Amino acid sequence: MTLQQSAAVRARAGRRRDPGRLMQETLMIAPAVLLLLCFLLAPFLLSFWTSMSNQPLVPRPTPVRFIGLQNFVRIFNDPAFWTSLWNVTRFTIWVLPVQCGMAFATALLLHQKIPCRNLLRGMFFLPAITSMVVVCVIWGTLFQYPSGPLNQIVGFLSAGHIQPIDWLGDPNWAMFSIVLLSAWQAYGFQMIVYLAGLQGIPDELYDAARIDGANVLQRFWHVTMPGLRPTHVFVLVITTIQAFKLYTQVAILTQGGPSGSTETVVHYMVRTGFEQQKLGYASAVSVILFVIVLVIALLQRQLLRRFDV
Amino acid sequence: MGKRLLAALLLTSASLAASAGWADAKTIIHMMHQGDPGWVKAYADVARRFEEANPDVHIEFIYAPHDAYNEKFSAAVMSKQLPDIMELDAPFLANYVWSGYLQPVKPLIDKDIIADMTASNVSQGTYPIDKELYAVGLTDSSVVLYGNKKYLEAIGARIPKSVDDAWTKEEFEGYLEKLSKLDGVKWPIDTFRGYGIKTEWITYAYGPLLESAGCDLIDRKTWKATGTIDSDACVDALTTVQTWVKNGWVVPGSSGTNQFYAEGHPAALALGGHWFYAEAAAAMKDDVVVMPLPKLGDKGVSPNGTWIWGITKASEHPDVAGKFLSFFLKDKDYREYAKHESAFPGLKSFAADSPLYAEGGPMAVAFEQAQKTAVARPPHPAYPAITSAFMQAADKAFNGGNVKEALSEAAQKIDEDIEDNDGYAPFDAQQ
Repeated sequence: MTLQQSAAVRARAGRRRDPGRLMQETLMIAPAVLLLLCFLLAPFLLSFWTSMSNQPLVPRPTPVRFIGLQNFVRIFNDPAFWTSLWNVTRFTIWVLPVQCGMAFATALLLHQKIPCRNLLRGMFFLPAITSMVVVCVIWGTLFQYPSGPLNQIVGFLSAGHIQPIDWLGDPNWAMFSIVLLSAWQAYGFQMIVYLAGLQGIPDELYDAARIDGANVLQRFWHVTMPGLRPTHVFVLVITTIQAFKLYTQVAILTQGGPSGSTETVVHYMVRTGFEQQKLGYASAVSVILFVIVLVIALLQRQLLRRFDV
Repeated sequence: MGKRLLAALLLTSASLAASAGWADAKTIIHMMHQGDPGWVKAYADVARRFEEANPDVHIEFIYAPHDAYNEKFSAAVMSKQLPDIMELDAPFLANYVWSGYLQPVKPLIDKDIIADMTASNVSQGTYPIDKELYAVGLTDSSVVLYGNKKYLEAIGARIPKSVDDAWTKEEFEGYLEKLSKLDGVKWPIDTFRGYGIKTEWITYAYGPLLESAGCDLIDRKTWKATGTIDSDACVDALTTVQTWVKNGWVVPGSSGTNQFYAEGHPAALALGGHWFYAEAAAAMKDDVVVMPLPKLGDKGVSPNGTWIWGITKASEHPDVAGKFLSFFLKDKDYREYAKHESAFPGLKSFAADSPLYAEGGPMAVAFEQAQKTAVARPPHPAYPAITSAFMQAADKAFNGGNVKEALSEAAQKIDEDIEDNDGYAPFDAQQ
């Protein structure tokens, strides 16, 4: 047994014997536990119960009763729910490469010793600290059909060959437009994570590679990429979970339309819970979303473990 | 010792609260409302005048945006913070009364105002079960067909003078077709899809078009949607509207809501609310023609109902709330502002004072519609579910979806909601 280990064991044993210290620790941890219990665990357990009742949002003359799995049966029979699930999956598949790719590329660029590096880092990070609502309102104007700025750019670049696109009003384009603006708004966060990852790779590795005669591409492929592996996994998983909770952009710009092409699970939940005032039904949706996110989170743990983080 | 300190603290805070109560013994009336900035200012001005005349009352406004009003109201109910006075969209009245939020206003409002209400205004504020009046308003509403005179003359269109000679479906579609080929016209008609896909406008404005073809949102006797909203009449009518969109005749939702009077006047017709007249006339002067809604079937149908004022059961001072509402509806400057916004009169005295809607006035057709063709939206507590389901179906149809499928889904959703609420008794017994 090393010295450190034995010290730790002694400390642990000492703590166990000292009731005053236990009291102190309990007190210190109590606020956090209490908050978690009140605002996370309790609502979560409540939503399980609510999901099996016909609980309305606001009190109604109709009695509240236990209805078993009826809400779940209805959800699984509602084509709108499957559309919303497919839509967030589609959104995730599109937004992942775009957003992470952009973040990775800018991080690589801003990791170089270029002039005004810190200023540029700040600028590229700006969208991420801008409120999503503000971003949506601005992009809503850019997306305007048929003569919004974006369409004018497209028209100019294609010398008028491409007809104006109804970015948010065409079911084939709406989700793509949401992907575009979401990636632009949020990539700053991933960029910062990548920058941190890049800074974590020791310069000695590059120096050694240079001495071995590796060129830029080889250095990137054999030093940078392996060094960033845990960062990649983290970024991918975080982005996926965020993508599954897509709501704000859709609520502001398209309200789930046109024709349900941008309906997401969270938007569907709000719609049934607040607009149609079926709290029980919406709770059931939230339970399903929880299970989905839980599965993703578990996969995350597995992946992270495999990459030894 | 700790206990004594706590008690002392409690005592001081209690006495502080009490003294604060003494110093500020004003009756506070909370009023929840929606509306554009101009209207909001008009309300605030009335409140100021009322407070000058009644120094012991303070009116406090709670603003909620129009398209999330029902959600905001639910939040107020949940947090037990119901206002004293609330603005409500007329078709939601049945739901609010059934849920027990509102109280009859007849005993609380000045008698001359009650006597002054038009029949349509009375009916929008009346709960069908007990036939009591639960809300009042200065205004009512309608939707008309606005036309650009130059374009209509260019295609030689017949301009209907009264509700009885409204355009038929064949005429209307013929003109849309001709207009689509006319120089300067980008879209033959603006139906204000720019208001969004989650707005009461859809049920309010498109509902009557479908109803004129023999459709309805729900059977108003049995209160069943299946067999009515998904009937052939409804499917055919909604398919007709879908075809207009497919043909590129309708201004798309992402182009905003002013294509009728925007530069170059890209839209030739506008299926717009009465409130649109003020904007359009200001921009286009005499070029605006006001026509009755077209008939898709054998009869003309037009919408009615608007935002009106009720007093909640939670109010501690319903008499003061009623006093303020009476003052509010009689206020001259408020009426002046309403007139300026081309408001549709719901009080007879206001109608007499509104040359816009009088015989021979530019909006006379709208007033005529209210008397001859107006059909209220279904006065049933399931209305929030009905309108939500219809909005979704309309959105699917406009984007080229299968109309029959969309309407069947809507029917199922509505019937499910009614079933979940045990038929909304006593509405299930109403025949």
